[in-house]
Amino acid sequence: MTKKISLGVAGQKKMYTAFLIAAVILFVLTSVYTNFNPMTLVKNGDAFWSFITEDFLPPALPKASRIPGVLSSVLVTLALALSATTIAAIFAFFIALFGSEKVSPFPKFAKVVRGFATFLRNIPALVWAFILFSSLGIGTGVGFAALFITSLAFMVRAFVETMEDVSQDCVESLLAVGASFPQRVSQAILPSCLNGFLSWFLYCIEVNIRASTIVGMVGGGGVGLTLFTYIKGFQYDVALSIILLIAAMVIVVDRITGRLRKEISK
Amino acid sequence: MAEILKFENVSKHYSNGVHALEHVNFTVNEGEFISVIGPSGSGKSTILRSINKLISITDGHIYLDGVSVSQQKGKNLRELRRKVGMIFQNYNLVYSLSVIQNVLHGCLGYMNGVKGVCGLYSEEDKKKALALLEELGMESFANNRASDLSGGQKQRVGIARAIMQEPKLLLCDEPIASLDPSSAKTIMDLLRSMTSKRGIACIVNLHQLDVAVKYSTRIIGLSKGEIVFDGAPEALTDERIERIYGTSRENLMIGASAND
Repeated sequence: MTKKISLGVAGQKKMYTAFLIAAVILFVLTSVYTNFNPMTLVKNGDAFWSFITEDFLPPALPKASRIPGVLSSVLVTLALALSATTIAAIFAFFIALFGSEKVSPFPKFAKVVRGFATFLRNIPALVWAFILFSSLGIGTGVGFAALFITSLAFMVRAFVETMEDVSQDCVESLLAVGASFPQRVSQAILPSCLNGFLSWFLYCIEVNIRASTIVGMVGGGGVGLTLFTYIKGFQYDVALSIILLIAAMVIVVDRITGRLRKEISK
Repeated sequence: MAEILKFENVSKHYSNGVHALEHVNFTVNEGEFISVIGPSGSGKSTILRSINKLISITDGHIYLDGVSVSQQKGKNLRELRRKVGMIFQNYNLVYSLSVIQNVLHGCLGYMNGVKGVCGLYSEEDKKKALALLEELGMESFANNRASDLSGGQKQRVGIARAIMQEPKLLLCDEPIASLDPSSAKTIMDLLRSMTSKRGIACIVNLHQLDVAVKYSTRIIGLSKGEIVFDGAPEALTDERIERIYGTSRENLMIGASAND
């Protein structure tokens, strides 16, 4: 009898088994902790289905007089996302210059800038929205501020990474010719990182289209608020049309930005 | 001959404990073509980068054109740096810009304010850049993207950018290490002719002993941050080569023409 020859990478099988066991144990523990019971869904299935079929379906159009208002609220959401992202990108560029040790004229300060951006970023836009609404009141302007803060922090991080990846060599050569900091930025960093910056900017727009809908629901205005109004008024069939409208809007924006990002990376 | 560069007891200790340079002394005169040789980690790059303060030294003095480099800051440092052209192993071009834009970067040290930031170069500078490209056989590529060039062509743009600075001293950090043998010869020939024509002193870091012997007027050998040889190429005996690389000559890959 010869021993079978093993084909796998040594130790890999053991690792996968360990992961599987750990995942099962975690599922059981967390289910107990959160009182989650898969059977609840099945037991209450009837109520759920009747809600879907009777209240939600079929989707209904809002009153004809309301339609322009709904459409303009979609525009508000789009505008909110676009303006917040664009202005945040401009600020993020200048801040990011000071967030990279290799680019910044004050390298010791770079960690502080990055740390601050990370801190701001790890608070979700929705939480910012609540904080700002509680202190400044509701409105599109405050929704703008909430989106601005998170996208600024996100893009500072992304822009710093882009700069660290790309421009070390050309920054060194421009240092050697005696170029000043603004010259190095405009002649080396900006041209070599512009595509990377634009790509992150477009990604951020994608994220913010979704985020601005949610921020709108809690008081930022736009289509999110319209949706919330219909849900609160128990007009679920109209709400469904608006949900479909939001989905369409997100898909269209995703496709456009996705296409642009592909063009840029060519 | 006028003295351009002087190293006086220069040491560089990195914060991780590496002693890159130990009490280095030498002077460079106008028109010299010096090769610096030595194994990896012997301090060749540190010597070059300390001359234009891309790296700050920890001890001693470096005098460039009679001015102490280590004390310069801000505007004065920029003015000092523009006297020193630099050529890199990886060419270090801005690849998304055109060839001529890269050459014109050599003028940035002379420009101030908005013009330099926006890249508004004078017609005179543009003509000069084109003439340089022509001298290097690159005039037809002036409006190509730098990323579309071959290695040898990129290095020629690097040379044009450095000469554009009208430097007194040219530093070349392993300029042919990433090139094929034919491009490498072109680049070395160009470096030699462009610098001697203009009276620019040139310091080249090299791994190729045969190239160093063939092209230089003087060779500096480094080992563990110390100068162990400084003299004419003819004086570089086997014994001294062994001293530099720490191993006998048979263990070294040296081009065929080394001892012709």
